[in-house]
Amino acid sequence: MSDKSLKLTNRPAAVIAMALFAVAAVTYGDASRMAVRATYGMSANAASYFICLFFVALGLGHLLSAFRISAGPTEDCDWRAIGWIALALTGLIGSVWLHAGFVLGATLLFTFTARAFGRRALLADFLAGGVIGIIVFLFFNKLLSLALPQGPLERLLG
Amino acid sequence: MRQFLKSAFCVAALTGIMFQTAPLAASELELTIMAPAGAGGGWDSAARSLQEVMMATGQAKSVQVINVPGAGGTVGLAQFVGNANGASDQLLLAGITLVGASISNNSPVDLTQVTPIARLTGDPLVIVVPKDSPIKTIDDLLATIKKDVATAIWVGGSAGGADHILAALVTKAAGADPSKVNYIAYSGGGEALAAMLGGQATAGVSGYGEWQGQIESGDLRALAISYPEPIDGIEAKPLKAQGLDIELVNWRGIFADPDVKGADLEALKSAVGNTVQSKEWKDLIKARGWADYYAPADEFKTFIASETDRVRSILTSIGLAK
Amino acid sequence: MDAIHLLIEGFSLAIQPANLVFAAIGVLIGTAVGVLPGIGPALTVALLLPVTFKLDPGGSLIMFAGIYYGGMYGGSTTAILLNTPGESASVVTALEGNRMARAGRGGPALATAAIGSFVAALIATAGLAFLAPLLVKVAVKFAPWDYFGLMLIAFVTVSATFGASPLRGLTSLGFGLWLGLIGLDQLTGQARLTFGVPQLLDGVEVTTLAVGLFAIGEALYMASRHASKPEKPLPVKGSIWMTREDWARSWKPWLRGTIIGFPIGALPAGGAEIPTFLSYTMERKLSRKPEEFGTGAIEGVAGPEAANNASAAGTLVPLLTLGLPTSATAAVMLAGFQQYNIQPGPLLFTQHAGLVWGLVASLFIANVMLLVLNLPLIGLWVKLLAIPLPWLYGGILVFASMGTMAANPSVIELLLLAGFGVIGFLMRRYDYPVAPAVVGLILGPLADSALRRSLQMSLGDPMVFLQHPSSAIMIAVATVALVAPFMFKGLAKFRQDED
Repeated sequence: MSDKSLKLTNRPAAVIAMALFAVAAVTYGDASRMAVRATYGMSANAASYFICLFFVALGLGHLLSAFRISAGPTEDCDWRAIGWIALALTGLIGSVWLHAGFVLGATLLFTFTARAFGRRALLADFLAGGVIGIIVFLFFNKLLSLALPQGPLERLLG
Repeated sequence: MRQFLKSAFCVAALTGIMFQTAPLAASELELTIMAPAGAGGGWDSAARSLQEVMMATGQAKSVQVINVPGAGGTVGLAQFVGNANGASDQLLLAGITLVGASISNNSPVDLTQVTPIARLTGDPLVIVVPKDSPIKTIDDLLATIKKDVATAIWVGGSAGGADHILAALVTKAAGADPSKVNYIAYSGGGEALAAMLGGQATAGVSGYGEWQGQIESGDLRALAISYPEPIDGIEAKPLKAQGLDIELVNWRGIFADPDVKGADLEALKSAVGNTVQSKEWKDLIKARGWADYYAPADEFKTFIASETDRVRSILTSIGLAK
Repeated sequence: MDAIHLLIEGFSLAIQPANLVFAAIGVLIGTAVGVLPGIGPALTVALLLPVTFKLDPGGSLIMFAGIYYGGMYGGSTTAILLNTPGESASVVTALEGNRMARAGRGGPALATAAIGSFVAALIATAGLAFLAPLLVKVAVKFAPWDYFGLMLIAFVTVSATFGASPLRGLTSLGFGLWLGLIGLDQLTGQARLTFGVPQLLDGVEVTTLAVGLFAIGEALYMASRHASKPEKPLPVKGSIWMTREDWARSWKPWLRGTIIGFPIGALPAGGAEIPTFLSYTMERKLSRKPEEFGTGAIEGVAGPEAANNASAAGTLVPLLTLGLPTSATAAVMLAGFQQYNIQPGPLLFTQHAGLVWGLVASLFIANVMLLVLNLPLIGLWVKLLAIPLPWLYGGILVFASMGTMAANPSVIELLLLAGFGVIGFLMRRYDYPVAPAVVGLILGPLADSALRRSLQMSLGDPMVFLQHPSSAIMIAVATVALVAPFMFKGLAKFRQDED
């Protein structure tokens, strides 16, 4: 390392260092509030304190590297595609949360993920996703008797 | 994907044939039983057994089991109470572990908030020592605990569970401080068994069935069972018969929606009642190694209230509840 | 009657045509359900157990054995092809296996997994039959301090999965350890880092983390680079079968994996994951082409897969001899045995020798059937990768979330899955290895409870780890393994300076 001046050369490492310190602080706070004590040996918070120390050490390591090693060239990132997948996951979680059922969630997940990878036939994918969702639902519900989240459509199928 | 679907269809067709059951008739009940635990565990297998017998005896037209695992059953219970709307087709299968878990997890809901239908099974717990142990009787064990409660190492199932409670009760009966019991919790009777056989513990607690093999082969010495009365085929005597006023049964029961009333409630009670008095049910619990501990709804209701109070006071004395 | 005689009798029952058909059906449906990500062998067996109720005892036992092996094998298929481990024990398989599959070598990867599993299961089942009563005597002597020693060894070997930067590897491991804190502490019932959310009290499922980091993280990462650098996995390049070189590089890892997997699986709290890490590390050290590790080394699939299956047979040792289920799968198997009136326990081998040998014969037959059926299917499986990317990843996400939901249908679980997916994406983007996080989540809680159980038994005296020779030796081995690489490096440097 010839460059000795203190210059932030690796921003991601600095951000991760901060995140590590933050998690360590949260863990410390949680551990210090634990009420149940072990009568013999160590209590449950011993492991928490250990992890805190570990995270602080890792955070210091990241901080050091943030000023010493320059970040490699970051790759291009297609945030639009990420957005589509985020939408896909939101669709799934939303439809389970709002009791709209598994099939709709799976359909949205499938359609938007396919869109993220550049497909534009939204309607065809929506139908394909729906068919997969229904088959999966019937397979689980009828044959394995495992209950996937149900909505109006599922109750109709069941 | 097409290939996969094709093979999935084949499997579907195949399993479809094998899952076919001939419904015997009569009842129009279409029930859902929630097992507040993962597939494969004790509550799940009890729920699926009940499902099997209810459908085989025609007490219900269809029965579905759903699993809502989490936090000793409190997640499932909270969901069951939260979704309550007086529905006549929702059942919950739970047991003493849920009573303890609701208390030690500070859960806002407990089993007194749902409608008891019937108590189904009750398994005795057993207290054992390794075969080479100098402890021969329950009185020897009490004396050992009284001498030094810290070095009397207990092993058993999860912290705050029925096993832990029994260890605390025995420690208290020995005249020692129950909050000082040196109880080492394992994830289940299985791992605790290894610790017993390896000679790392003074005494162990578990469901009788789980350690039956080792007790019969002489690898473990059973000192007492926690059931109030002697049980056929179990040599160990109840604690009560040995002068200790302790009884603890690992019971399981079935509950319904908090708001179910009138004819709907009666229909559920009679369907479950008929099921558990059938020969099929008796055969099944025998094959599973469970003990029949049936009690009808009214008796079960008072039982739940007294168990809740009792478990709370024990957990408080061992420092797991406030 | 002597053992061999009983075994032959068992085989004569198992190879009747009807029973062979049952074995085949069991293997097929076991594989079909086992490939679903998030649905490991335990759930597979639990779900399909009722199917076997309808048959006569002999046939149903054989079908049950088939389902068991099929479910075990199914988990590695998705790990290799889709980078989506179906269960925690196939996480290591995904490391090299998926690299191979992307380079068009999915066929040999699946083949070495299948044949390795076969070899391991064959040897381990024989070990089960002949060594079980002996092995179990040693296994129950394994005390908490010994487990702690074993965990230390496992932690040291994890560094093999770190990649180029120790700091990043340790950070990933730390993330897993931190996740391992979440939930109720097993020893005291104290909640850690649950923030009042009851769904967190049971802790983070290893499969949720693995599926999130691997499958969803991968999908996000691929999508982010799809426009600029489309990366299409090659379904087949070169032979779909194993070449002569593949065989030469596979057979030793199979045997070594078996030797590691079987005894650790037989330990009451050994599990299947630790042997897979140990095997991976060992193969990496012993390989003549260590530079291929990380880019698709066949040894890295062959060894861990063999270790996984050998440890699965190993878990049958405490199950049959003590009635002690040491894994979720074993717990379900126990329920299955009881249904055939096999009461596992110390008396089983003496009182019901016939049943034991019938089971062993069934396991052998199921194992052969698995190989016979799955080798031809490999050609079909690798075609999965020929599906257009948008549909492939759409399908992966649907199946991944479905498996998670079937095991635990809660919104919290889905949120965790999505959250781990985002973290997995960021880790890939900034070049952090994901495997150590999964390892940390598995080992952290085990090491924590082993350490604290030991101290509880010794009333707080830390000398307990050194007073027992077995744990002292393991701790010494771990220390040497940790320090030796630095010493060798120092020594090599010293020599260089001399020249």
